Amino acid sequence: MFIVDCDCHNYWLSAKVLEPYLSGVWKDMFIHGERTGPEGAFPHGHRPWFHPHGFSRKDVRPVSEDDNYTIMKEKHLDPNKIDVAILTGDEPMEASTLANPHYANALVSAYNDYQIDYWLPKDSRFMGSLVIAPQDPNLAAKEIRRLGHHPRMAQILASQGSQRPYGDPFYHPIYEACAEVGLPFAIHLGGHGGLNWNAIAPAPTTFFWETHAILHMAAMSHVASMIAHGVFEKWPNLFFVVIECGVAWVPSVLWRLDQDYKALRKETPWLKMLPSEYFRRNIRFSTQPLERPDNLQHLWSILEAMDGENTLLFASDYPHWDYDDLKSLHLPPDWKPKILGQNALEVYKRIPAPAKTRAA
Amino acid sequence: MAEKTLVCRADEIAAGAPRIVKIRGLAVGLFRIGNSIHAMLNVCPHRGAPLCEGPQCGTTTFDDAGGIIHHRDNEIVRCAWHGWEFDIATGKSLVDPKVSARVFPVTVDSGNVYVHA
Repeated sequence: MFIVDCDCHNYWLSAKVLEPYLSGVWKDMFIHGERTGPEGAFPHGHRPWFHPHGFSRKDVRPVSEDDNYTIMKEKHLDPNKIDVAILTGDEPMEASTLANPHYANALVSAYNDYQIDYWLPKDSRFMGSLVIAPQDPNLAAKEIRRLGHHPRMAQILASQGSQRPYGDPFYHPIYEACAEVGLPFAIHLGGHGGLNWNAIAPAPTTFFWETHAILHMAAMSHVASMIAHGVFEKWPNLFFVVIECGVAWVPSVLWRLDQDYKALRKETPWLKMLPSEYFRRNIRFSTQPLERPDNLQHLWSILEAMDGENTLLFASDYPHWDYDDLKSLHLPPDWKPKILGQNALEVYKRIPAPAKTRAA
Repeated sequence: MAEKTLVCRADEIAAGAPRIVKIRGLAVGLFRIGNSIHAMLNVCPHRGAPLCEGPQCGTTTFDDAGGIIHHRDNEIVRCAWHGWEFDIATGKSLVDPKVSARVFPVTVDSGNVYVHA
């Protein structure tokens, strides 16, 4: 079976790996400026919830920078027979939390160059994610045009945390650039501190697990917003990929969106289809962390209601604490060929066709 | 088989002020759009609400700059309950043309309005 892992985190031990890719005032700020943590910490506005154990699996213990790849290969890529792993970085998308958009953009640019220089050549199975700092959409669009034609860039990536729901016309320069370079726009759980709106609707929650379980509130807003603002009318071929934000909530939100749109379509006359039809055509969700009810049939019925066989993309989230192991992934067996690989080929057009990969 | 029924005088139906009449037990809304009179069953295909008791109104479209424009004034009825919009002349829902309110042919003769229901 052809397997694409749509969320594989390439770690660093220290953000100092970015130093060679920064210059001028940004390099000066990076080396001498204040940061969130000790030397080597990536500058960002932190969220108010601390993970009690830290994010990484405890059997992943890199000592040198190069260990990050060798351990990933040994513990994940090889044993799971991953054909393509889409690298999603880790801290870089947290640049979205910084108030200074110029510094944020310089940091993600440095990461993108580092990713191309250091990570992509390491393994032919890797595809990259071009990380953007969305707080200045015009700078982000410039970064997309700078590197978006790189043959091994699979998608444009921003954090789920943002200043506004992503359908807002404020962000449209980003989608214009995505359409121009022909890449999907993806959001990943994260960016829930600093500049960005609190991810939890009424006010910050208290405990990490309590928060983590409901962090997809922001993704709900983004899905509604992207559809309502007509992003998929303006760019009908654009794929919007939602990574690590849960999936079992999706049908209920689509039902509500369809219901309300039918009554109040006049607010958004640019739409030509039902919200659920835009979802089906333009939005994809990654599986991890896949909800696990006691009765699996309950989950599978929900996934069926969102046409999960065609709208889900497998993701492992290696090497995080809530990693989904491929060997025990609780999806309907018949759906696996599509969810584990075929659907990704439809979204990520630059992934080489399976036959070619196998022959290589 | 449709039966021709005299319901009222044409000048008794003003644009924006639909009348509801009974035709052999059926409640029918009568609407004026410009010089033409239209008849629609007063039952919404969505949930059976009194459709024609909702406002006769226009709807929206948009321009190249993404601005919202009001248009088709008085050509639309918005259901009294959930606000679904229907084209008065055809009965079709603006969201899904497969969903349709029932409309009846109307003729006006010497100022008398006849509904063929």
